Amino acid sequence: MEDFFNIAVPIVTIFVALPWLFLHYMTKWKQAPKITHEDEQLLDELHLLARRLEDRLNTVERIVAADNPDFKPSLSQPEWRPEGRLGRTDYSLDRRN
Amino acid sequence: MTASRTQFYLDKQNAKFKGVCSGIADYTGVDVLWVRIAAVLLTVTGVGMPWVPLAYMLVAWMATAKPIDLYQSDDDAKFWQGVRSNPRRSTAEVRSKFRDLDRRLADIELHYTSRNRQLADEIDSLR
Repeated sequence: MEDFFNIAVPIVTIFVALPWLFLHYMTKWKQAPKITHEDEQLLDELHLLARRLEDRLNTVERIVAADNPDFKPSLSQPEWRPEGRLGRTDYSLDRRN
Repeated sequence: MTASRTQFYLDKQNAKFKGVCSGIADYTGVDVLWVRIAAVLLTVTGVGMPWVPLAYMLVAWMATAKPIDLYQSDDDAKFWQGVRSNPRRSTAEVRSKFRDLDRRLADIELHYTSRNRQLADEIDSLR
């Protein structure tokens, strides 16, 4: 009887439990939200557009704030760092406009 | 520009051996050190003994190397890591960015329009 358990338990573990575990996570991974290639391109474009617009709006807010001392830029605007922005090349040439 | 950013790549730029561990780190956003430690420990302790090296070599053989200009900046890479783990949240982030832009633009608009109204009031008072 004990011999039977000594053999049966590892066999069940190896041939049933492990594939079960593997397939379980496989299906979980397959069911995870995926985006298509078109959606990916769209998201890329929107993300890039948002960043460009933010850069432009930062510039405009700085200009407005320089012209009108009573204008307060909103709190979400990050501090302007000239050395950081000038030294960094954010976009390659084909992605600039 | 046609290279997919939601695909697994071997990260040859930060590779120690074949770039699988650094590729996993780049894909998931986990620090590459922990991925390497996990891989080495699983191999050495014998827990995943034939499987970890086997999977490593299989992945190294089948996956393609990451294009060098896939990401423009570190922010870009981080954004796409977020997209891979949860595209819905990344989309919501982009939308909130647009809303923030809209709000700030409205602030500027309000500033100018209210200033012009003050000016118009002053002109009216001069009449």
